[in-house]
Amino acid sequence: MTASADHTTHTLSCRMQPEPAALERLCQVARIRGFRIEEMQVRTDADGLAIDMVLSGQRSIDMLRRQIEKLHTVCSLRSPEQALTGIRQSA
Amino acid sequence: MNAAQHILDALQRHQIDTVFGYPGGCIMPLYDALVAEDVGVEHVLCRHEQACALAADGYARASGRTGVCIATSGPGATNLITGVANAHRDSIPMLVITGQVPSSLIGTDAFQETDVLGMTLGIVKHSYLVTEASDLPAIMEEALQLAESGRPGPVWIDIPKDILLTDIGEPTAPAPTTATPLPDPTAEIDEALAMLREANMPLLYSGGGVSLAHAESAFRRFAKASRLPNVVTLKGIGNPGYDNADQMGMLGLHGSKAANMAVDTCDLLMVVGARLDDRATGAVSTFAPNAKVIHIDTDAAEFGKLRAADLAIRGELGAILNGMADALVRQPLTIENWRQQCATWRKTQGFQAAINEDPHAPISGPEFMRQLTDIAPRDAIVACDVGQHQMWVAQYCRFDHPRNHLSSGGLGTMGFGLPAAIGAQFAFPDRPVINVTGDGSFMMNAQELATIRRHRLPIKLIIMDNQCLGMVRQQQELFYENRESQINLDDNPDFLALARAFDIPTLAIQRTDQVRRGIQTILAYDGPMLLHVSIDRSENVWPIVKPGASNRDMLDESQRPTSTTAKNKESAA
Repeated sequence: MTASADHTTHTLSCRMQPEPAALERLCQVARIRGFRIEEMQVRTDADGLAIDMVLSGQRSIDMLRRQIEKLHTVCSLRSPEQALTGIRQSA
Repeated sequence: MNAAQHILDALQRHQIDTVFGYPGGCIMPLYDALVAEDVGVEHVLCRHEQACALAADGYARASGRTGVCIATSGPGATNLITGVANAHRDSIPMLVITGQVPSSLIGTDAFQETDVLGMTLGIVKHSYLVTEASDLPAIMEEALQLAESGRPGPVWIDIPKDILLTDIGEPTAPAPTTATPLPDPTAEIDEALAMLREANMPLLYSGGGVSLAHAESAFRRFAKASRLPNVVTLKGIGNPGYDNADQMGMLGLHGSKAANMAVDTCDLLMVVGARLDDRATGAVSTFAPNAKVIHIDTDAAEFGKLRAADLAIRGELGAILNGMADALVRQPLTIENWRQQCATWRKTQGFQAAINEDPHAPISGPEFMRQLTDIAPRDAIVACDVGQHQMWVAQYCRFDHPRNHLSSGGLGTMGFGLPAAIGAQFAFPDRPVINVTGDGSFMMNAQELATIRRHRLPIKLIIMDNQCLGMVRQQQELFYENRESQINLDDNPDFLALARAFDIPTLAIQRTDQVRRGIQTILAYDGPMLLHVSIDRSENVWPIVKPGASNRDMLDESQRPTSTTAKNKESAA
């Protein structure tokens, strides 16, 4: 599946705590806020979940980043084109 | 001590003394723990789980403390969902506890099993499915802290029955939680002050975030120091208090023309604790077209979501507003001409309830609300439902504090008002609590009359009865060429007999000259009482902005279509 012409493609890398609904939360926020997940890779390591996503959509990726950062179990969120935007300590 | 007992212990340690719930199979261990004599938690049995959640919401809105609701798995949990979504959309702190089928049965389509975690992801701030009993104490601490901190919201804990029964030892002192500090806003405050001083027509626009941040005092201090003309959202009603001379009322879809004109004209809009939602802004492309925007909020995701901000300040609202007020006390703004302009608009384009001199005239919604707000004590809490009456309350009732006005803003949940009033009355047993509802909304949670009766809650119920779904009828008249569709309620039950079945005395009024006496009578009565108010079916809420139109193009009654005869007036029979 490829992004349609009027959609922009973005890459996000996310680290999450490995709780049962982690991936569902992430995918749901992306969908509700207007993005389609084109590719997704997930690894589990000692620090939790490492998720790389390619997303496409017409809306601002910054808006999506800010929504994802609000998920309590997101520890960090990065995109190659932008610096680290936030690291939250797990409570 | 089992996990269920730990839940009650955690609630007590957090000074939560009231919960709203309904028992059932998988949550029974928690209800068994409630039987113990030394439990310092009062459980209020509502008669539908949706009402449990909405009562917890009303409790939280009125008090500023976290509301707690409890239900069993399956239908208990799914019935909670509307109430939890309501809290989520209005950022109300709430803890939701549900039983789940035993761990070994999850995923087997067991009796009363639903995937609660999955189906509620979009309506919670966070959620947990407890898989290890020993995790529960830490989850309770984190959940309660999360529900209240930052932008508040509902946090849901789903707990399998076997885990509730597992012995996990005696409670230990919970590890202190450390909230991530918000950035220091000093530089942004200076920038905001410079923008305010540069502006000729600055306007203050506040929402529900002010009370959610417990920043009411700081807000009033800032409003007084700045003397900014100000508008409020539905949830911001009451922010300026009775005595603020520069308030212009609610903006938006059913806001005052004065408020919308001020927004349309201003050259600086200072948005505090509001999210610029579509009901407030109308067509956002034409909203505040001449204004720079300062946006102050605790949630960075609101910045630029719908309207770009020239300056966004994320932080603790109280500290920011106090910091700005300090500077403005030392050096006030010079905006007298603008204040005068807004004062003129307020007088000529504000909400004015027409006073009908004919004592036998039918009761009008606005006039009723004007009298209600004149007669009701200043500390009365008004819980609305959703529809025309809700907008008349917003337009014509005055509130000295935002927590005195309970209204379902984001979700617009019919059936909110009665359980919310119950929650508010439990939070403040000695204050007057009034549920203003419509004949449509009332029927959505009418079973809660049983909760009022059981606890003899002195709630005053006011049904504005136009025998139809008035807000829908109004939109069908104005925007669907008067084609009425499924709005007729002329076969409503006898509301007076219904109330009497729950030992609630009643009074019915139909004419303008009965309004004052009717309101006085129910407010003076020592106990619950229902006032049934017959109003005209054809009355509309004015003004109104057409769907998708700009707030500057408000319709008022003079633009009503000349023929108000419905094209297919329904009969329920």
